Formats: sequence, structure tokens, C-alpha cells
Amino acid sequence: MKRRLIIAVCIGLFVISGGLSLYFYLRPAGRVVEIISDGTTLYELDLDKEPDREITVEYKGRKNIIKIEKGDIYVSAADCPDHTCMKTGKLSQSGVPIVCLPNKLIIRYKEGADTDAA
Amino acid sequence: MPHKQNTRRLAELSVLVAVSLIMFVIEMQLPPVVPVPGVKLGLANIVTVFAVYKYAPHEAILVFLARVLLGSLFAGNVQALIFSISGGALCLLGMIAISRITDKDMMIPASVIGAVLHNIGQTAAAVFVMNTTAVIAYLPYLLFAGCIAGAFTGACAYAVSKRIP
Repeated sequence: MKRRLIIAVCIGLFVISGGLSLYFYLRPAGRVVEIISDGTTLYELDLDKEPDREITVEYKGRKNIIKIEKGDIYVSAADCPDHTCMKTGKLSQSGVPIVCLPNKLIIRYKEGADTDAA
Repeated sequence: MPHKQNTRRLAELSVLVAVSLIMFVIEMQLPPVVPVPGVKLGLANIVTVFAVYKYAPHEAILVFLARVLLGSLFAGNVQALIFSISGGALCLLGMIAISRITDKDMMIPASVIGAVLHNIGQTAAAVFVMNTTAVIAYLPYLLFAGCIAGAFTGACAYAVSKRIP
């Protein structure tokens, strides 16, 4: 009985997390992006209207350089040890944010951007 | 002869720490599979799963702690320690609980649940460190990847435990 329960829990977790991933991946997001550093929102940008430019965000002397290019946003340079934020590439519509854990930086599509735009 | 037994135990546990550190260092050299922070195979966890089923809880905890502390020194990334400890501790407790009520042949499910708990602990630490709940958006992907990675490490540990009973 215990065995069956544990195996059922595993299969359940696999199916539910897979389903949730797929749901969030396919869900369309708005075009308003926010840049959050250490819990505070620094910028709110509408990617459709933003001109190409570079934004530098500093945290404790460490920098992340964020580039906006033809409606895409990505981290072009970071002086953190792992560079995961750079490898994430352009922010995708899937709702997966760009995160730089060492520099406490998050770039993501704003939740419910369509509804509170007015 | 308790003395001889203790020395033997100490040697065995030390070998386990060494093996898991080697796997940890090798895994650092591999490119990330997906660009989501926190997703990895967790090769070093093969040793944790193995130790949980073969040794007493406090011995498995010792192996885990030694691995995590030395591993973060080798990686030169002490900040990652917060994520490893919070995830690993939760994972370890879950697997110890399951190992008490099941046999070795349940290693794979135990490892899957351990991996999922690891992801939950990691995300909780990230929420705390980053001071925002935005990182929870990663959780479904982490859990899904954790199920696969956990099944893999569990299968490896099971294969090892059949050869080293």
C-alpha cells in the first residue's frame, strides 16, 4: 500500500508539474516588462514603444547591462560568476523571467499588463 | 570490537564524500541543459540517495553536510550554499522519512520526491534571498526537471546498491 501511494505521488507530481509547465509556457504575456533589483521595481517598459537602448543596473558594485533591441530585451553583460541571465537570452513570451541570482536582478513580463494599462 | 567498526564506518563515509565531490566537480564542467537557474542533474545526489538507504540518518546527514560545504568551496560560490543547504536539507529529510518505511527497491520514487523537495527548498530560499515572489514562476519547470533528474539519480543509486549491498 505504502509503495503504491509513494509511486502514485511521484507520477502525480510528474504529470502536474509537466502540465503546469506547459500551461505557463504557452500562456501569452503582455508586452510590458519590469526590471526588478533586490525587490524594488526600477523600470517598467513597454517593449513595443521602447527605442533601442542600454540600461545598466548596479547591485553592490556589480553590474548587469540590459539591452533593448527591436522589441526584445536581454542581458548582454553581467559580472556575476554564473552568467545564467546572459545564457537565458531574450526574454520570451512564455513567462519565464530572466533571473540573475547573484545580483538579485529579475526581468519579467508584468502580470496582468493588459488590464491595468488603462 | 567497536573501535574497528567505527574506523571502518569513518573510512566508508569519507569515501562517499570524496565520490560525491568528484561528481559535483565534474558536473560543474558540463554546460547547463536548460537556461533556468537551479536546473541540473544533481549527480552528487546519487551518493546521498545511496547513503540514506545504507547508513543511519545521522551518517547520511554528515555525508551531505561535508559534501555541500566542501563543494561550495570548490565551486568558489559561497552564495550558492544557501540554495544547496535549504534544498538539500528538505530533500534529505524527505528521503530519510521514506527510507524508514520502505525497502531499497523504492530508491527511485524516494529520489524523485527528494528532488522535488529540493526544488521547493531552493525556490523558498530564492524568494527569501531575492526578496520577491517572482522566482516562483520557475517552480513548475524546476519540479518537472526535478522529477526526471530524481528518477535518474535514483536509478543510478539503485544500480550501485545492488552491486554494493
